[in-house]
Amino acid sequence: MDVSLLIAQFMSGLSRGMMLFLIASGLSLIFGVMNILNFAHATLWLVGAYCCYTFWYVLQESALGLWVSIGLAAIALAVIGWIIEVILIRRVYDRDLPEQLLLTYAMVLIVGDLIKLTWGVEDRIIVRPNLVSGPIFLFDIPLDSYFIVVILVGISVAIGLWLFLQKTRYGHIVRAAVFSREMVSALGIPIPRIYTGVFVLGIFIAGLAGAVQAPVGSITLGMDMAIIIQAFCVVVIGGFGSLLGTLVGSIIVGEVYAFSILFWPQGALVLIFIVTAVILIVRPWGLFGTPMRV
Amino acid sequence: MKIKKFKVLVIIFSVALLAGSASLQSALAAEPYHLGVALAITGTGALYCKDGVDAISLAVEEINAQGGFLGKHPIKLFTRDTHTKPDVAVREAKDLILRDKVRAILGTYSSACAVAIKPIAREYKVLHIAAISNSENITKINYSPYTYQVVPNSYMQAKAVVLGVAELAKRKGWKEYVTIASDYEWGRSTQQNTVSLLKQMAPELKLKKEFWPRLGETQFTSYITAIMAQKPDFVVGSVAAKDNVAWMQQAKAYGFFEKIPYPGSLISVSELIVQAKTLTRGLVGLCRAPFFAHMDNPMMANFVKEFRAKYGRYPSDWAVMEYDAVYALKQGIDKAGSIDTEKVKDAMKSMTIETTRGKLVFRAIDNQLSCSSYLGVVADDPNYAFPIYHDLVEIKGPDSWRPEAEIVDARLKEKK
Repeated sequence: MDVSLLIAQFMSGLSRGMMLFLIASGLSLIFGVMNILNFAHATLWLVGAYCCYTFWYVLQESALGLWVSIGLAAIALAVIGWIIEVILIRRVYDRDLPEQLLLTYAMVLIVGDLIKLTWGVEDRIIVRPNLVSGPIFLFDIPLDSYFIVVILVGISVAIGLWLFLQKTRYGHIVRAAVFSREMVSALGIPIPRIYTGVFVLGIFIAGLAGAVQAPVGSITLGMDMAIIIQAFCVVVIGGFGSLLGTLVGSIIVGEVYAFSILFWPQGALVLIFIVTAVILIVRPWGLFGTPMRV
Repeated sequence: MKIKKFKVLVIIFSVALLAGSASLQSALAAEPYHLGVALAITGTGALYCKDGVDAISLAVEEINAQGGFLGKHPIKLFTRDTHTKPDVAVREAKDLILRDKVRAILGTYSSACAVAIKPIAREYKVLHIAAISNSENITKINYSPYTYQVVPNSYMQAKAVVLGVAELAKRKGWKEYVTIASDYEWGRSTQQNTVSLLKQMAPELKLKKEFWPRLGETQFTSYITAIMAQKPDFVVGSVAAKDNVAWMQQAKAYGFFEKIPYPGSLISVSELIVQAKTLTRGLVGLCRAPFFAHMDNPMMANFVKEFRAKYGRYPSDWAVMEYDAVYALKQGIDKAGSIDTEKVKDAMKSMTIETTRGKLVFRAIDNQLSCSSYLGVVADDPNYAFPIYHDLVEIKGPDSWRPEAEIVDARLKEKK
C-alpha cells in the first residue's frame, strides 16, 4: 500500500483523536480533581456547538466571524459551567457516585430539552470560510484544511493545560487536591473555590470542543450521546484524571478507528471497545492513571 | 281508557326512541378519528421528520376544515418521538394504540423502526403507513395487510440508481467501485439491492470494498481517506439525513467529488436546501419526491402554496410523502365509507389514489405505492434560492419495483 495513503489515514485518525481529546480532557480533569463523573459533559459540548452557531449566524458577514464565534462559545459555556457548579454540582460533592450520576444524567435530559426549546429540532449548519473549506495538500496528500485547525487547537489545549498544571501555582494546588483535598484545605486554601475553577475550566474546554466541532458537519440533537461513549472509552484507556493519559487515549482511539476502517471497515467500533475492555480488565485505572480514590 | 293510556305510552316511547337515536347519531357523528404519528423528532432523523410532521398537520387541518374524514370524523393527532430508535418506536407505537386509541400510525423515519412497529400494528389491527422509511423489507417479507408504503422502497431506489450508473459505467469505462452505507436496516438493504442489481445489469463491474459508518457518525474523514486509498472508478453511497450532510461536507472539503464520481446518492430536497451554499454543483443525485418535478399537478401546486404560506419554506420529499400518506388514508376511508380499520384496510388494497405525485396505485402483493424515483444533476436555478435538479429523470414505480415472483420466492424462503 502507498505510504502517502497511510499518512493520510494517520492524519485523519489524528484529527479524530484530537476532537475526542478536546471533549475528554475536560471530562477527565473534572473527574480527576473533583471526583465527579459528569455525564452531562457531552451535552454541554453540544450546547457549545449551538452557541457557536448562534454567534456565527450574527457575525457571518465578518471575515473572522467563525473564529470569534468559537471563542465566544467557549466563554459562554464557561459562564454556564459556573452557574451549574454553583447551583447544582457543589451540593453533591460529598454524595455517593450513583447520586452524582443521577444528577448529571438529569442534567443531560434537562439541557437536551432546553436545547430543543432554544434552537428547535432543525439541523444547523455553519458554512466554513473559504480558508478552511477546501483541501490542502501535504506531500501530495489531500487533507481537509479545517482538520489542521482541529489538530492545532487540540495540541494548544494539551500544551496549555500541561503548562497550567505544571508551571502555575494554581495548577500545583489543583494537582495537590487530586491527591489530598484534606491537606490542601488544612493549608488554608479554599477547596470549593478550587473546585469551581476546575469545573469552569472543564466546561470551557467542552464549549471550545463543541464550537470547534460545529463546522465539521451539521449540528443536531442527539450528537452528544453518540460522542460521550467514545469520550468515556478515551478516559478509561488513558486513565481518569491524567492529562497525558487522555491525550494518548484519544490518539489510540482515533488511530485504531482510522486504520480499522482502512483494513477492517466492519470492525472499526468493535476494536475500540475491545481495547477499552482489555484495559478495564488488565489495568482498570488506565494507562497513565492512578488507582481510584475510595 | 286503557287504549288511550296505551297510545300515550307508545307516543312517549317513540319520541324517546327517536330522541335517543338522534343523540346516538350525533354522538357517532362527533366521534373523532385518532391518528398516530411516530416520527424521529429528535435524533438522526430530525432533519427529515420536522417537515413530515408539519405536512401531516397541514393535511389534517385541510381535512378537518371539511368536517374531518367522511365529513364527520374530525382528526385528532397524536405525535410521538421515536428518537430514531426501534425500542422507543415500539414503546411509543404501543402507547399510541393502547392509550390514545389510534386507528392508524403514520411514520416512520428509520426503517428499523418501521420493521419494529409492523408486527405491533398487525397484532392490534391498526393501519400503518410508512412514508419516509423505505427498506423493502417493510412490505416484502413478513407481510402485514395493515402496512402500506407510500415511498419508493430501497429496491426501487436502488434500481433507479443502477439504471443510471450502469449507463454511466458503460459510457465512461468504469470497472471498480466501492460502497459507503449507514450501518442499519435501510443502509444495508439499499446497499445490498444496489450491489445485487449492478451484478445483474453490469456484471463487468467489480465491488472493491464496502464501508459501513455507524448511524449517527459525525466524522467521516477516516472513511474518506480510506475510500480514496482504494482508488475506485466511482462510489455508491447510501447515507441519509444529518449523517449525509456531514459526509457530503467533509468529502467536499477533501476534494473528494472532484476526484471520484459519486453518482446516485441520496440528495433530497432537504439536502438541497440545507446545503444550498456548499453542495457541489454537477453531482448526479437521487431523491424520492421532489416537489418541483410535479408542479404541473394541481394537488402538488396547492400543497406547495399552502405549505409555504403556513411554514415559510418549501416542502421536502419527506413533507410530500407524509402529506400523501394522510390523503391515501382519507381516500381509503372514503372508499370504505367508514372509519372501521378492517374496512379501510380492505378498501386500500389495490386502490388507485390521487397524490401530489399524480395518480398512483397500491400493488396488491405488497401494498407498495407505484411511486417514482428521481435522478438528476444538482444545479442552480433562478426560480429558487437553493439548487434543484436539472435534467431530471423520473423512473416510474412499475419500471423499478421488484418482480412479484421474487417477492413470492422471498416469502416462501422465509416460511422455510
